[in-house]
Amino acid sequence: MAERYRADVLVCNCPACTRAGAPEMQQALKAEVERRGLADEVRVVETGSRGFCSMGPIVIIQPEGFLYCQVHTADVPELVEETLVKGRVVERLTYKEPETHKAIPRYGEIPFYSKQMRVVTRNCGLINPQNIEEYIAVGGYQALGKVLTSMPPEEVIEEVKKSGLRGRGGAGFPTGRKWEFARNAPGDVKYIIANGDEGDPGAFMDRSLMEGDPHAILEGMTIGAYAMGVHKGYMYVRDEYPLALRNLNIAMEQSREYGLLGQDILGSGFDFDVQIVRGAGAFVCGEETALLASLEGRAGNPRPRPPYPAQSGLWGKPTNINNVKTWANIPVIINRGADWFNQIGTETSKGTMIFSLVGKVNNTGLVEVPMGITLRELIFDIGGGIRDGKQFKAVQTGGPSGGCIPAELLDLPVDYEHLKEAGSIMGSGGVIVMDENSCMVDIARYFLDFLKDESCGKCTPCREGIRQMLRILTRITEGKGEMADLETLETLARVVKEASLCGLGQTAPNPVLSTLRYFRDEYVAHIVDHKCPAGVCKALIEYYIIEDLCTGCGLCRRKCPQEAISGEKKEPHVIDPALCIRCGVCHDVCKFDAVAVR
Amino acid sequence: MVTFTIDGQKVQGEEGQTILEVARENGIEIPTLCYHPLLEPFGACRLCVVEIVAGGRPGLQTACTYPIGEGLEVLTHSPRVIEARKVVLGLLLSRTPNVELIQDLAREYGITEPPFPTDTPDERCVLCGHCVRTCNELVKAHVLNFSQRGIERRVGPPFLEKTRQCIGCGACTIVCPTGAIETVLEKEAVYKEKPLGPTSAIWVPSMQAVPRVPVIDTDTCIRFRQNDRTDGEIADACGVCQMICEAGAVDFDQQDEILELDVGTIIVATGFEMWDPAQLSQYSYGKSPNIITGMEFEHLSNAGGITGGEILLADGRKPERVAIIHCVGSRDHNAHPYCSRICCMYSLKQAHLVRDKTGAEVYEFYMDMRAFGKAYEEFYERVQKEGVCMVRGRGAEVEVLEPQNGREDSKLRVKGEDANLGRLVQVDVDMVVLSTAIEAPHDADRVAALFGLSRSEDGFFAEAHPKMRPVETNTDGVFLAGTAQGPRDVPDTVAHAGAAASMALALLDKGEVTISPTISVVDEVLCSGCKTCIALCPYTAISFIEEKNVARVNEALCKGCGTCAAACPSGAITARHFTDQQIMAQIEGLFRVLEPQAVEVGR
Repeated sequence: MAERYRADVLVCNCPACTRAGAPEMQQALKAEVERRGLADEVRVVETGSRGFCSMGPIVIIQPEGFLYCQVHTADVPELVEETLVKGRVVERLTYKEPETHKAIPRYGEIPFYSKQMRVVTRNCGLINPQNIEEYIAVGGYQALGKVLTSMPPEEVIEEVKKSGLRGRGGAGFPTGRKWEFARNAPGDVKYIIANGDEGDPGAFMDRSLMEGDPHAILEGMTIGAYAMGVHKGYMYVRDEYPLALRNLNIAMEQSREYGLLGQDILGSGFDFDVQIVRGAGAFVCGEETALLASLEGRAGNPRPRPPYPAQSGLWGKPTNINNVKTWANIPVIINRGADWFNQIGTETSKGTMIFSLVGKVNNTGLVEVPMGITLRELIFDIGGGIRDGKQFKAVQTGGPSGGCIPAELLDLPVDYEHLKEAGSIMGSGGVIVMDENSCMVDIARYFLDFLKDESCGKCTPCREGIRQMLRILTRITEGKGEMADLETLETLARVVKEASLCGLGQTAPNPVLSTLRYFRDEYVAHIVDHKCPAGVCKALIEYYIIEDLCTGCGLCRRKCPQEAISGEKKEPHVIDPALCIRCGVCHDVCKFDAVAVR
Repeated sequence: MVTFTIDGQKVQGEEGQTILEVARENGIEIPTLCYHPLLEPFGACRLCVVEIVAGGRPGLQTACTYPIGEGLEVLTHSPRVIEARKVVLGLLLSRTPNVELIQDLAREYGITEPPFPTDTPDERCVLCGHCVRTCNELVKAHVLNFSQRGIERRVGPPFLEKTRQCIGCGACTIVCPTGAIETVLEKEAVYKEKPLGPTSAIWVPSMQAVPRVPVIDTDTCIRFRQNDRTDGEIADACGVCQMICEAGAVDFDQQDEILELDVGTIIVATGFEMWDPAQLSQYSYGKSPNIITGMEFEHLSNAGGITGGEILLADGRKPERVAIIHCVGSRDHNAHPYCSRICCMYSLKQAHLVRDKTGAEVYEFYMDMRAFGKAYEEFYERVQKEGVCMVRGRGAEVEVLEPQNGREDSKLRVKGEDANLGRLVQVDVDMVVLSTAIEAPHDADRVAALFGLSRSEDGFFAEAHPKMRPVETNTDGVFLAGTAQGPRDVPDTVAHAGAAASMALALLDKGEVTISPTISVVDEVLCSGCKTCIALCPYTAISFIEEKNVARVNEALCKGCGTCAAACPSGAITARHFTDQQIMAQIEGLFRVLEPQAVEVGR
């Protein structure tokens, strides 16, 4: 079908681009193409995200591979005129190298993409996720066909085992072995579940995948179901992901229509169907036993393992749970072979990993890289370095319960083992970059504050321990800490990590432990010197006006809600520390950087 | 059998057991809080953590949930384990600083003060989930559950609001290890119907009985209530008693059954019933919870009773004044004219108990003090010396006074005549005990008909002779024992029953008995099956043979009274040795003196 068109204009419809104005721009684009009489030659396609979220709305023009950033309705006529009619690049809309401002028109050449290796997200942003034919056109469902016609289930499991694929949900358990457990568990009725309950704040790998390539997940699940002898699957997707839910539903309907899901798939006699269950969005429901409880209609509380879900899972039946990203890996492994797959990555961590790169980097977005890439490459090459030319301070991997890794370890290869060694986790792939203006004590406090509310409260260490750790951290950020607190914190953190029931509690102390390990001096500064080196903790900072820089414009004086600033016109102003509430408004409004923190 | 090691010691357990179960079997101490042997493992408190060093998932694991496995190596008191338990107990103590159980557990690990700031000094709930799991797994009422998350987690019914789904069984209160749940019964609760009923659904009706067999009160038993409430939909609730009974003696499907036994003799010992004092309105029985019968007083003062043996008013206060009224329903032509014989002595005993347990003033309204037995008079004197005020004269009326001084409860006024003083008296008391009469059971007439017994005027079964044959009845082989025959106290009953038993044994010992040959026989050819004789037979000796449509006389029972023979309309019954011809011949024999010519006698 695609051959009939001269060009495809791919418009990203992810929520980030939508918020930036993608739908209106797309309407305009379609209208313009129509008006120019190009409708027969040029096709405008809605796609999922290609991951370059800080630059949305993104438009990619195929087959040239031009990538235009921040395209708005006003840019449409020029884009159509120049690129679609005359075949020229609109330089104004291309990505500019931040340092040199050099335009890079083709997306493959943009550093953000050039170091990436898109295996799982191979189709995201390049096909219309709501059209099964586009997925089939790029080789979709070939793997399923291969498996159903020529591979016995044991061989499929063997292939997955050989690939070295490990669970992408965070814990990194070898997928093939997990499948084998489920296959060998006694019982006729078994279930598989795709975990799409992405709860980490700021992470959107699962969402983008479900939105951008739902068929890859479905195909992976169907292959897994065949391998494990399962006829019923569930997708647990958080309700906050309406587009993911819509695209998945459309994909399932189309798959059933095409005989790729339901009874007698591809005439092989194998039956499998999937049902979507919407989660109410509790962070802890990403934990597999809590997810099972939620799926059964109970409150999402985890339970101790063993028994593992493979022994007794959903409604007491053997159940296999894998992250949506793990499922999406399967068709690639089948198509290209385990040997191809296990060449990617490191000794113990095979394949690629998707990260949502956020925080103080220039290029925030979704990136897929081979396992073993260094943090430096991830942050500085792909992420384009730290924003506003500031200093890198730390990077937190693995979501809110990951650890903070300092600059010394920037050359650490990213895989399950190395991250664990450094006191962090792979998690499901959140990467938060922090610059010199981040206070590490405050960061630890911030994540514990999140986890305090997300702990289900079932087990004592997690429920009570997080509260007490948070209390101590809050005290320290208020300048009321004592050196003995650090020891208490370490003991508490160690026990919460070791004695908690589920993964949430077992990883919750990571931000505390890792900041204590790498940034102990900041804690000491808070406790002994009563100073916050990063200038974040309000109780420990003071705003003052640098006399030499102050022009006496009076803007800060007018904006100060406490009337704490005084001074004559055109004379340097002064802040009265007794009245100042450290809201920072003066600092933000000053056009001469005359307001400083100490 | 699975062999593994705990603290270096080789232990064995069955497949499927947990580390905790095997450790406890081997006397290895592991502290627990949320573990309960009757509930599904929960693994929430993390107090029972042990360290697994080999053969399993390494690290700290909860002993209450972790299944044993071959070659497992477990440490129950390694430094890691001790540190974790200490921190967990410190956290719990900081949550609930005033819960004794947690204080005790913490003390064992050297923690005497909450190590962290506490802002909930009144908190009692440790979120162990005993109540939640009991309500869902056992009671199956599904009322209690956890709500909220993290530190806000709490236990309660949906939306923390009152719910009609709660059956008020109180199981949550019982299992709560920290006393965090209080059961507040509303007015319509099941217990209101049984103010002095059993405190537990399984109870021993008679502590003195041998064997002392407990019974299930199906009105309060959770299993039976859930079954009744849901029309059998929830038929397997609770069952805790069955789970823990080592003898396997609990059977919920037990039904009343009818046993058919062939016996040689029968002792009728059907006892008595208490007369209902509500029949005489002057005693105001039922108008105040503090007007009780002597039997209810016994429940109240029983150490296994609802107040644990304390004598309390309905509102839980101790009474300050108590009146005991004798002869309620006895020696009264409006009720029973006879003396119930036991009331004087039990009233004195109760007066003694009230004095002893509460120190309250006691007023005994009596007509005559019938302290007839051995040492009875001496007891009467002792009670008098204890300061019980004796008022000679029937308590005529009990009046429930209007509540005074804004109090919810009301005083009771007892009026009567003091015959010794010759004037009317009245006394205001907190509690009135009515010494009610005992009477024959309400179904005594059916028992009488069954065994061919007669009843005396008072309704009790009549003995064959009041002086000479006090345990026999007019039916051979049927004897009376105890109050079935008439009011009597315990020693008299024991003596009476002993006599009945020896009479019965004497008969049984013979093996067979010689009976008089003068009995009735039915000529089955003549019998028309009208059944006239069956109703008339005073010894229930005639039965009806359905197949033949004839009456037949039981030769062992027939006394040869001849009633049936006289009444038989078909002339089918003859009394042996008293046939019409024999009687006629005897008459003729008598008259032979007058008529010398002999008439041929007989045939």
